[in-house]
Amino acid sequence: MTNNVFKWSLWTALVAVLAVYPKLFGIYYTNLFVTFAVFAIFSVSFNLLLGYTGLLSFGHAMFFGVGGYGTALALKHIRGLPLLPAVLIGLVSAAVLALILCPLVVRVSGTAFAMLHLAFGQLMYMLAYKLRGITGGEDGIGGFPIPPFGIPGVVSIDMRAPENFYYFAIVVLGISLWMMWFFTKTPFGQIQVGVRDNAMRIDYMGFKVPQTKAVVYVVAGAFAGVAGSIYALFQNLISSGALDIFTSFTPVTMTMIGGIGSFLGPVLGAAVIQLMEELTTRFTQQVELVVGVILILVILFVPMGFVGLGRSLRQKWSARSALRANLGKPS
Amino acid sequence: MNPTTAMYVAQGMHGLAYGMILFLVASGLNIIFGMMGILNLAHASFFMLSAYFSYQFLSMTGNFWVALLFAPVATAFFGILMERFLLRKIHALGHMGELIITVGVSLVILAGVKIFWGTESLPLSIPPVLTGLVSIAGMDYPVYRLFIIALSLVVLAIMVLLLYKTRLGKIVRAAVSDADMVNALGINMPRVFMIVFGVGTWLAGVAGVAIAPILLVFPGLADQMGMDAFVVVVTGGLGSLSGALIVSIIFGLLSSYGVQFLSQFAPLLMFIFMAIVLAIKPTGFFGERE
Repeated sequence: MTNNVFKWSLWTALVAVLAVYPKLFGIYYTNLFVTFAVFAIFSVSFNLLLGYTGLLSFGHAMFFGVGGYGTALALKHIRGLPLLPAVLIGLVSAAVLALILCPLVVRVSGTAFAMLHLAFGQLMYMLAYKLRGITGGEDGIGGFPIPPFGIPGVVSIDMRAPENFYYFAIVVLGISLWMMWFFTKTPFGQIQVGVRDNAMRIDYMGFKVPQTKAVVYVVAGAFAGVAGSIYALFQNLISSGALDIFTSFTPVTMTMIGGIGSFLGPVLGAAVIQLMEELTTRFTQQVELVVGVILILVILFVPMGFVGLGRSLRQKWSARSALRANLGKPS
Repeated sequence: MNPTTAMYVAQGMHGLAYGMILFLVASGLNIIFGMMGILNLAHASFFMLSAYFSYQFLSMTGNFWVALLFAPVATAFFGILMERFLLRKIHALGHMGELIITVGVSLVILAGVKIFWGTESLPLSIPPVLTGLVSIAGMDYPVYRLFIIALSLVVLAIMVLLLYKTRLGKIVRAAVSDADMVNALGINMPRVFMIVFGVGTWLAGVAGVAIAPILLVFPGLADQMGMDAFVVVVTGGLGSLSGALIVSIIFGLLSSYGVQFLSQFAPLLMFIFMAIVLAIKPTGFFGERE
């Protein structure tokens, strides 16, 4: 009972902090938070593949980018398109891309999966870069109209105000995060973990391994698309840079640093990277150097990421306190 | 010979030269993968590093041959350092960590190159001995491209001799099929891994020096070559040298003729080719494992 009260008060506190955040920290940190939230969702969707299904992808940016392009193109070409359908178009376009690719990619795993995605990611990047007429190439699509969020005839909120957009982005990304969490808790989510740990055994139990992988793949792609879509709306710009190799490595880094073994690990990793980039850009231009060195150090010394580090510390601590309690007892 | 045929032949030469360079990079990648199961994502970064070393040696001594001799060795030295102090430490934790640590190394090399040599393109000139054209059977060939092809063939011959005629080669071939078993037979596998990693990065280094005079040396060089080399290795089959050779040459020709007929969409040809091959045979042309 107290546990439940504690849980609910924690949730209320979190919502309250998120609600007053823009008032407290001002516009600069509000925008920083939106960027963090976008990459957190992007990384969590990536971790559905890596952490839960054991599939390492080096091309996850293609879903992010395609989601962004889907939204941007729709808003540019369809006059008077409301906001939510625009985000939905982003989601659907990423999901469709995943559907097209999944017959090919679910047959492989491990290094081949990673490399195949590196190549497909690069293919998408090349397409966006070369098809200037549609995508605008390196300059991208910018200045498309950002529609207000509203229920017709009831309310209409201008999304060009950064503070309003903050609330919209947080709500959409929060719902995405919750949906992905729910997805991992379903019985299907358990099969997914089974595929990671022992695919052959899952096969013998009568579940279909490639189909399971395909479903996870499409879900992960769709949510990466949502992240990309919000990112495009937030920047009011999407360019071929959103599809490049560095965007693909971003969730890899964030997930590894946060910890692949847990659902919220990538969120923590995203926060660490975001803060690190924010701090390093004040002192030096060498963001790559810092990220690279951190990545190497994390793999060398805390291979399970910060969440894994926290867990093992807690285990050690509880083992020690249990030991102390036992020692205190008269034998 | 009429001009159209001449143009085709010239394009073919360009393609062949690029294909051979691609093979040098891809074969290093492939040997390392075959032995250690690591796909070294920093491999192309070593290639780029070697091109920069070549620039450095050239501007210090002015002698291309010195650069050709020492730049790959310096690159291999860094490769060995990476194997000894990073990869060996985490070998027991599985491939995922190794794959990601190579990403970290590639970022560090990229940053290092930018710090030491700046971000602008550095021009390197073709050594005077190898400039100009040579005419064979009524056709003019650029000497430097011929030199690249010859150099690659020599390196290939050395590799084949090493692999099939020496004790080390025998150990390497045995280790490709079962590294644990070779280790159990009392062979110092960590040292063999180190040597193989060194040789692999040395191969990338040779390619880097050879290509530097015909491309510009800039920090994006690694991405450009890296992607091509990965596609070659995946398409040819991971761990297969002959697959890498054949696919490298196909890609070299595909890109040089592609530029002529499809101009800006030429880079896509390679990926389409790869997608078709992998759709039919997920392990690549000659690959047996994923």
